Formats: sequence, C-alpha cells, structure tokens
Amino acid sequence: MIVFKAFLKILNKNKSIIILYTVILVVFGGINMNASDTNTNFVASKPNVMIINNDEKNEITDNFIKYLKDNSKIIKLKNNEDAINDGLFYRDVNFVIYIPKGYGKDFMAGKNPEIEIKTTKDYKASLADMLITRYIQVASTYRDMGNTDTELVKNVNETLAKQGEVTITSKLDTNKLERITFYYNFASYSILACLVYVICLVLSSFKDIKIQKRTIISSTNYKKINRYLLLSNGLFSLILWSLYVILSFILLGNDMFSKQGAIYMLNCFVFTIVATTIAMFIGSIVLNKNAINGIVNVIALGSSFLCGAFVPMQWLPKGVLRVAHILPSYYYISTNEAVKSIETFDKESLKPVCINTLVLLGFALFFVILTNVYSKKKQKIG
Amino acid sequence: MFFHNFKYSLKTLFRNKAMIFWTFAFPIILGTFFYLAFSDIENSEKLDIIDVAIIKNEEFESNELYKAVFKELSDKDNKDRLFNIKYIDKDDEKEAKELLDNEKISGYLEFVNGKPKLTFKSNGINETIFKYVTEGIVQSAYMGRNVSETKANLKDISRKNLSYTMIEFYTLIAMTCLYGGLLGAIAINQNLANMTCQGKRIATAPVKKWQVIISSALSCYITQILGVALLFIYTIFALKIDYGNHFFKVVLLSLVGCLAGLSLGIFVATLVKAGENAKTGIIISITMAGCFLSGMMGISMKYIVDKNAPIVNKLNPASMITDGFYALYYYDTFDRYYFDLISLLIFAFILIGISCIGLRRQKYDSI
Repeated sequence: MIVFKAFLKILNKNKSIIILYTVILVVFGGINMNASDTNTNFVASKPNVMIINNDEKNEITDNFIKYLKDNSKIIKLKNNEDAINDGLFYRDVNFVIYIPKGYGKDFMAGKNPEIEIKTTKDYKASLADMLITRYIQVASTYRDMGNTDTELVKNVNETLAKQGEVTITSKLDTNKLERITFYYNFASYSILACLVYVICLVLSSFKDIKIQKRTIISSTNYKKINRYLLLSNGLFSLILWSLYVILSFILLGNDMFSKQGAIYMLNCFVFTIVATTIAMFIGSIVLNKNAINGIVNVIALGSSFLCGAFVPMQWLPKGVLRVAHILPSYYYISTNEAVKSIETFDKESLKPVCINTLVLLGFALFFVILTNVYSKKKQKIG
Repeated sequence: MFFHNFKYSLKTLFRNKAMIFWTFAFPIILGTFFYLAFSDIENSEKLDIIDVAIIKNEEFESNELYKAVFKELSDKDNKDRLFNIKYIDKDDEKEAKELLDNEKISGYLEFVNGKPKLTFKSNGINETIFKYVTEGIVQSAYMGRNVSETKANLKDISRKNLSYTMIEFYTLIAMTCLYGGLLGAIAINQNLANMTCQGKRIATAPVKKWQVIISSALSCYITQILGVALLFIYTIFALKIDYGNHFFKVVLLSLVGCLAGLSLGIFVATLVKAGENAKTGIIISITMAGCFLSGMMGISMKYIVDKNAPIVNKLNPASMITDGFYALYYYDTFDRYYFDLISLLIFAFILIGISCIGLRRQKYDSI
C-alpha cells in the first residue's frame, strides 16, 4: 500500500499535466465537431465565392449572379483588397470575381468582356472556374442565336436546370464517424503524452539513488515493490482510458453507441496498453527528471505528426507514412481510419483491424521485453 | 565588470542543458515535424485527375456526343485533362461496383433508358465534378446545337505566394523568439537577491546594478539570436521555407522579435514574485497561448481572430511576429510589416520600462 500511496502523491503533484492534455484533447477534439446534416442524397460540393459587382442593374448580370449564388457558397467580406487578399490566403474564399462596369450591355453587344478574378488555384477554385465557363458558354450560344435579354435569361436557366440522375451507394454517415475518428486519433497524442510523462516521473522518483538504496535494504521484497508499481501504473492507464472514453461519449453523444464505437474504444484500450509499456521502458532508461519534459514532447508530438493524429493520414506524404510503420501510433490510427468505412462487419472487412491489433500487442510485448532486459543489466548500483 | 558578468552569464546559459534544448533544439525538431506533416497538404488540394468508370452498353456506344466529350477529357495530351476513364463491358457491371466499393474510382456512369445515371459512393469534390461534366453534356444535348466555343475571358489578378502552410513556420519563429524569455528569466533570476544566493552576493557587491542587469540581458539576447539564426538556417536550407525576398527586413523583424521575447522574460522574472518553476510556467503559457492565437495549432485560428477580434492579435507578440513575416511574404507594400515591427518595439519597451521601475532600489533588511 505504501508504494501505491507514494504513487498517488506524485500523481497528485502532477495533476496539472493530466488536466492540460485533457483540455487540449477536448478543445481540439471539439473544434472539429461542427454538426453536419445526415442525408443519403447527393450534395454537390460548393466553392466559396465572393462576387463584387460593378455593373449597373440589368437582367443579364443579375441572372449571372443568381446562377453563381445557387451553385456556390457566397462569402461576404469587407470590400477592401486587404480583407479579400487575407480571405484568399486563409482559404475563407476560393474565388473572387469582379464583374466590370457595363458587363451586361457589352455581353449582349456580342463582346466577351474581361472579368478579373482572384483564385486560390485549388480544386474548389477549379470548380468555380468551371461554373463560370459553363454559364458564359451557354449564354453566348443563346446570344448568338439572336435571343433578347429576357429570352436569353429564360433559355439559359432552363438549360442549366437540366440535371443528371445520381445515386449514392453508401448508407454510412461518414461525417459522424469522421468526428469520432478525429477525436480518437487525437486522443493518441494525449494518452501517449500523459502516460509517458506521469509514469516516467513516478519511476524516476523511485529510481532516485538515495530512495533506491533505502528501498533495496528495506524489508519489502523488490518484487513486491515492482509489482505494486506495475499495478499502480496499470491502474492509472485504465483510469485515463476510461476518462477519455467517457469524454468521447459526452462530446460525441449517440454516435458512440454503435459497433464502430465499440471498436474505437477497444482499439484505444489496446493502444493504452502499448503506451503504458512504452512509458515503462522510457521511465526505466531516463533518470534525469528535467529531461522528461523534452522527451515526452518529442515522442508524443513526433509520433502524432508522423502517423496522422493531427493531420489526416490521406494528406501525409507517402514517404512519411512509410517511415511511420515503425511507430505503434500508426497501427492504432490505421484501425480508426479503417473502421470509418466499414459498412458490414465480416471476416474480410475486419481483417485489417485484427492485423493492426496484433501488431500493437506485438509492440507491447517488445517493449516489456526491452524494459526487462535493460533493467536486468542495471540491477547493480554503487 | 560589465564584460566579466557578460562572459559568465553567457557561460552559465550555455551550461543549462534543459534551456538549450527548449530554445535551440525543440523548435528545429518541431519544424521538422511540421514539414513532414504539412508538405503535401496543399498539393492534395489541387485538382487531380479523377478515376471514373463508364459502362459501355449500346446506348453509350451509339451516343457520339458523350463518347466525344469523355474521350477529349480523358485524353492524355489534353492539358485540361480531367478524367482517367475505365470502360467496363456491360456484362461486368459488378466490376464497376467493386471498384467503387474499394474506392478505386469516384463513381461510374451508366445509361438507363436513354438517360445517364451516375453512381457514387459518397459526396465529394471529385463526384461533383463528374456530375457537373455529365450535366454539361445533358444540357448541350438539350440545346440541340453545338455550344459556343467562347472561353470565359477571365484575368487572374490574384497574388502569388499563396502557400498558407508557411504560417506554421512563421509561428515557429515567433515561438522561438518568445521562448528566449526563458533565458531572460534565468539570467535576471541570477541577479535577484530573493531568488538565488548568487543574487544575494551581487546585491551586496560594490557594482552598479545596471551594469549587471544589462550585461546579463545582453548575453541572453545573443544566445537567443544564435538560436533563431540556427532555426532560420535550418528552415531555409533544409526545409526550403519561403520568407519572401526581403532578407534584411526578415532579419530586422527577428531581432526585434527576440527583443520582445527577452523583455517578456525580464518582465516576468522581475514582477512575478514566485519560484523559478512558476516563472518558467508563466512564460511558456503566454508563449503557447500567443502561438495558438496566431495559428500554430490550426492556421485558420489567426484569420478567425484577425477577422473577429483584431485587437487580440494586435496585443499578442506572437501574432505581431507571425503577421510581420506573413506581410513580407504575401504583400508588396510594407505598411503592415512596419505596423507589426513598431508594435513589437512598443511592446518590448513598455515591458522593459516597467521592469526597470520594478528592479530599482530593491532593498532588503533581512532575507
């Protein structure tokens, strides 16, 4: 009990660290949780467009603007160049279109007036470009046929209203699972950082040369001390895991009550075990308390950045992902990503999940052995 | 005396391994992580060639318009190529479904009763474009004549240098500048009678206080600049970060940024009556909160704050530094840059001024 008490004492001294990482998880896990509509109909992606109209009121220009409004998300920024440039840089708006003075008149006079644009050159901007080109092509065709203003507007709108038939096969609401995946991916950072920090601190406190000498000559068996340390570390991991799982239920609500939710939780549990073994290993090799903070940051941030806890895996360079295969976080996050798209649970779809779990358990075993080999060598002091 | 104290405080700073890690090595390590994680994001936002499938039944075969348009849009020599099309025989419809399920294609097109029907797995930009092109053909067919070849006459007047991931690295420089405050706090603590034994000795020694303080501060400043310079060299040559074309302005901004960091350190060390760990904690918290608001943990954060609560970032030193680099990178004019630079100078001088008042005439009857 005395070992456990000491453990709790050290834990209590460092509760701010645990609170810090938990707050980070809630803040960042929460940021990405804008509610999304659930529907199984096709919803077209819309570029963010800002329209600056310098033309006077006329049917041609108004209809053009109406078409853009229907097919894109209109962004309103202050009409000054700095605000617009900032908006473009931070991708608040993908496409800015400046409709020149006299556009409607010039267009009907058979000209192709120049339109100034600003673009972010990404895929949403390309889509906006396509929208504009399509409109102008259709409108020019009717104009060349000799339509009057009103005829042209009517014909253009009728033509552009023709749509294709679309079906969506997936019944899965990926948006909801996206949020859970992001939360659990991010949790890998908090879990790893918290566990390594606390467990290292505890172990290094017990490894302090004076304290270690005292415990060695005490009547308590060293095996017993080690067993208690292992137990209390395990208990701490378990509590931390439960805390994050409960938080996920609070933040994500009903979506967690599903088969997928159960896999996320179990996967997180396996990862917690691995993180504990990593922490025990690091705790056994690091003796300097001042160094712990640095080591925690490098290890936790490193594996989170490289394995896709912060930046989704599909956006990471391929080379980075290849290197990430040597880190346990990679297998944990892979499982989360895989669960996101599983629709039916069968042998085939669960295969990658099982393989990742086995690899994670392999990592745990590896670190346990490593810790034992190392501490065997370091048994004798002074 | 000035040089003597300068030399020894420089030596003590370099012996403090933990501090050297945080101010020298940590930014470089973090920068490497940023680089590895973010280097592909912007490329992945460019429009890629989209993999789709078309089921080749008689209706498709007999529809010259569709065949021609899709042939052109998937032509390898066409610079506006949009699609990589896999034509599937009508008997192998299952294959299309399988490809879709395994996300090898974004969707497939099939003619049913003379109408094109698209099947997608989910919503998305690639799906939208595929739908959009198909609708274009439907609309042309409706018009019953060739669509005018007129291209929209668009003139792109947007700025170059639109790479927003650069902001990450600018916040990193800001963080390093402000972390310099840690060094400042250590150096000042050594001269404070209520903090260290060394401080007590200095307080009783017959030396002018300003000499001791300024020489300590100077040694920190030099250490700090060395750390920032290392980070610059690393980010420019190894990570190929673009700071714009105004080298001297970049250097000037970093020097002033370091001064702001130093003043923050001196300010906290002087005015906060607490232990060394608490002081370190305060400096780190201020720095990280500042970096958070200027976009280190999510680039759009800076934009959100700038747009909705501009005053916050006008008072935030991390944001002043980040914004200064951003202005040099993105804008042609220097108004914004000078505004940031002068704000930083004012920030530094106010903090140093208050610290001077706090440091004067500290006397202890007993301690």
